[in-house]
Amino acid sequence: MKKILAILMAALMIAAMFTGCGSEKSYTANNTEYVIGVSGPLTGAAAIYGKAVQNAAQLAVDEINAAGGLNGIMFKLEMMDDQHKADKVSGNYSALLEKGMQLSLGTVTTDPGKEFKNLSVEDNVFFLTPSASGDEIPANDNGYQMCFADGNQGKVAAQFVNENYAGQTIGLFYKSDDNYSKGIYDQFKANLDKSVTTVETSFNEANTTDFATQIDTLKSCTFIFMPIYYTPASIFMTQAKDLLAKETVYYGCDGFDGIDSADGFDINSIPQKVTMLSHFNSKATEGAAKTFIDKYVAKYGKDTLNQFGASAYDCVYALYGAMKKAIDGGKKIPVTITASELCEILKSEFQGGYTVTGAVTGDNITWDAKGYVNKSAIQYVIKEAS
Amino acid sequence: MEVILSTLINGLSLGGIYAMIALGYTMVYGIAKMLNFAHGDIIMVGGYVIFVVMATGNPLLAVAVAVIACVILGITIERVAYRPLRGASPLAVLITAIGVSYLLQSLAQIIFGSAPKMVTVYEFGSVQFLGATVQVASLVTMAVTVVVMAVLTLFVKYTRLGRAMIAVSEDRDAAQLMGINVNAIITITFAIGSSLAALAGLFYLMKAPNVSFTMGAMPGIKAFTAAVIGGIGSIPGAMLGGILLGVVESISYKITAIAPYTDAIEFSILIIILLVRPTGFLGKKRREKV
Amino acid sequence: MKLGKIKINHYINYLVIGLLLIVLSSMTVAGVRFDNSLLFLLEKVAIGIILAVSLSLVVGFLGELSLGHAGFMCVGAYLGGKVAALLVPALGNGVLAFVISLLAGCAAAAVCGIIVGIPALRLRGDYLAIVTLAFGEIVKSLFRNTSYESFGGTLGLDTPRFDKKYLFIIAFLLVLLTLMVVQNYIRSKHGRAVTAIRDNEIAARATGINVTKYKLMTFTLSAALAGMAGVLYSYSNYTVQSTQFGYNYSIEMLVMVVLGGMGSINGSIIAAALITWLNTWLPTKLTGDLAVLQNLLYALVLIVIVIYNNAPKLKGFRDKYNLGVLLNKFKKHDASKINDDKAKWDVVPTKISMDEVLSVDFTPQDLGPDKEGGRK
Repeated sequence: MKKILAILMAALMIAAMFTGCGSEKSYTANNTEYVIGVSGPLTGAAAIYGKAVQNAAQLAVDEINAAGGLNGIMFKLEMMDDQHKADKVSGNYSALLEKGMQLSLGTVTTDPGKEFKNLSVEDNVFFLTPSASGDEIPANDNGYQMCFADGNQGKVAAQFVNENYAGQTIGLFYKSDDNYSKGIYDQFKANLDKSVTTVETSFNEANTTDFATQIDTLKSCTFIFMPIYYTPASIFMTQAKDLLAKETVYYGCDGFDGIDSADGFDINSIPQKVTMLSHFNSKATEGAAKTFIDKYVAKYGKDTLNQFGASAYDCVYALYGAMKKAIDGGKKIPVTITASELCEILKSEFQGGYTVTGAVTGDNITWDAKGYVNKSAIQYVIKEAS
Repeated sequence: MEVILSTLINGLSLGGIYAMIALGYTMVYGIAKMLNFAHGDIIMVGGYVIFVVMATGNPLLAVAVAVIACVILGITIERVAYRPLRGASPLAVLITAIGVSYLLQSLAQIIFGSAPKMVTVYEFGSVQFLGATVQVASLVTMAVTVVVMAVLTLFVKYTRLGRAMIAVSEDRDAAQLMGINVNAIITITFAIGSSLAALAGLFYLMKAPNVSFTMGAMPGIKAFTAAVIGGIGSIPGAMLGGILLGVVESISYKITAIAPYTDAIEFSILIIILLVRPTGFLGKKRREKV
Repeated sequence: MKLGKIKINHYINYLVIGLLLIVLSSMTVAGVRFDNSLLFLLEKVAIGIILAVSLSLVVGFLGELSLGHAGFMCVGAYLGGKVAALLVPALGNGVLAFVISLLAGCAAAAVCGIIVGIPALRLRGDYLAIVTLAFGEIVKSLFRNTSYESFGGTLGLDTPRFDKKYLFIIAFLLVLLTLMVVQNYIRSKHGRAVTAIRDNEIAARATGINVTKYKLMTFTLSAALAGMAGVLYSYSNYTVQSTQFGYNYSIEMLVMVVLGGMGSINGSIIAAALITWLNTWLPTKLTGDLAVLQNLLYALVLIVIVIYNNAPKLKGFRDKYNLGVLLNKFKKHDASKINDDKAKWDVVPTKISMDEVLSVDFTPQDLGPDKEGGRK
């Protein structure tokens, strides 16, 4: 009988632990700063992107706070690690809410971003993601992107090829089980002229290092479109440097950014030309990009400098600017405002012709009704043929 | 023709690497009667050692140090993790091996970080052969694999040590009664397997010049698949299975429509082989004794 | 301890989980709103327990190793999630749609279990480990390469999420169902046959037990339960992505089973709850590069616990210092009495000395202590 009593006691004690939680409550009631929440990979293979976002967003927050915040109210960045996994997001998201999150940068990558988009619409939390570029991330009216959506990058790349390579054969090298790569690839193919013939080859997560077969397939191509990230791209280029023609041009999207500083890869050791279509160039020598790069490198070093960070920096300023504009327009944003109330204010700003000027990743940035960004993509030549 | 030739050569060199790893698996399985799950990760350790020593710029030194380091690692793993479990259930040994594999991966991740490191060991360049461009490194891989397999077969068949290995493999207790030092034989087996893993790591780097903490995992699993397809415990079987798997992989990547399913295809072959011919192509049928 | 004819040790885990469930659900009904993070944790704990208990069936009771448990879960999550996505618009996001998708997910996983089990389980040796590992990779790659319309492809499948206020109740009801199925199976005639196979397959075969049939039955049951956990997963997340169900996840489940003590259901339950909680708590403590230490910890747990529990040379040490002995010191019970209690189903039957009865082989122990370097 003692045993039953012991079990009863144990169960009651566990139950007592939970009684602390009250009924529906506002987590923002005790805020003393505006809290921006973000979930991204700080560990694992994608950690470099999460760290870039964390550093750059913190840089922007510090600058805004140093300049007096928003009418004297400071900002605070809360970042949680999702290891680039969707099933970590539900935990992170609720923890962020409980930490008083009022607005968000969403997630850093697309896989977890899908979960975030669905969770955030339940509570009506506004988010502007720096780099989760999946086409459906801004599907709900509380979600916006600072980066180009994958599909749009594919379309722009296809237009470029249609103009310059009509009637020719081009190579296509993509990662078949990757959102980013597949997203760009699908729209690229859909928008490509019939006159352009393609030679296609792919790789996947299980083999990201040995590209002998793929290189062999692409041997006859002098223009190769590679919507992939720079790590596999640098491995491909190293292996292909003697096997592909010297006149070959590699053409990538914003994932290429950082390839010239990839660990152990000397881009000048390959003879082919490397170009990319992006909103940020980490080798920029003028304008807002240069200012950002200098500040970032001085504080965090060069290792994590990439377009994810640049985009995150812009996101924080864009959110700040929108809130400032709303206040100037007569709206009130108290420091304890709930996420849902702030979301309505920000939505009306972002849909009401809000324009960001002089940002790192583009000038005159606006958003369309679906939440996709409008800004100009620039074609950068990372390295000329040699 | 040209396409077929180059695909075949790619497949053969990839198969050579798989065969090299599979040889290690099959010897350890045949003699120590255990599936050494950490074998693939020894390749990774070899890769990182080469990466570190390549700072001196001497490829031969790097390879030598990698082989020695892997042998020491292999023997240490056997001493610390597997030997205490000799006589325990096979399941316990298998789980420990998985633990060791996981341990090596996390240690590598802690020491070197999760981003892959680029390392170029030695550039052999390429030659033209019947119209196809062939990497010299691929030819070297194939040649070394064939030599290693031949030497191993002869070693096992004709030396005292090799015959002692067969004896231990056939019946451990009887071998012990015949005066064979079973523990020493198993240690030597691990040493040979680990040195082969180091070589496989080298060939892997010549083919794909970067190291990461997961680099051994997939080749390890595929090489084990190869060993089972060829007949686990059989040295020529490991070679045959490795080559077969390498060629299948290469052909599958070449055909755009099925390229994304390459891994699924390779593993499906394993399941089909186990259904049709559980002993693999060259494996011996074993009789259970009470 | 007995209550009439019912042995309370048989039901202790139902009692604890049931009581907890009753308290929490009555609080929910009474209008108490728990923090979302707590609700998510409860859902994950329930999923973890189902996985650990079902894997324990294969690893602890059948004595085979499955490294593709996450693969079966993946099948359940995708199939169950897909059925749910199709049904919810017609039936509403209610219990009926949930039950149908649950059955679909379980059935799909069970079919996969049979397909994988047939080639692997009729062989002796470590084949199941490698085949399940291969299966996990195949499943991952197949779902990742589906078209967007069918299973979401690289973006993953969108699934309906159950009202999070109530999902944990369903989740824990499923935990109770799992316990009922597994414990009754183990205590049945079939369960005894399975234990006999684990302890000595040849002897079991000699007594007329259809070894392959029982192995396949147990493995399929375990796969079906993993599929159930998968359906639950799909209902607790908006997205099902095949990359979640990789090798590492299978290893995590294995760590739960090993940590809980192989063959102990209650141990698996506690270990599953502990590790799931650690998975949410540790990342807040081990930030940045330290997060890898978590994997290191799992690896060490696997190695140390398995060697401690299984090394023949540590037997004397184990008999002196183990949890049972230490607990008995406090209870002032006679340790031998506990061991005589045949009703203790949750204690692994120690390796029956069938070997000694049937075997005429010499083992090194017969020749005196097995010294380093073999014969002296």
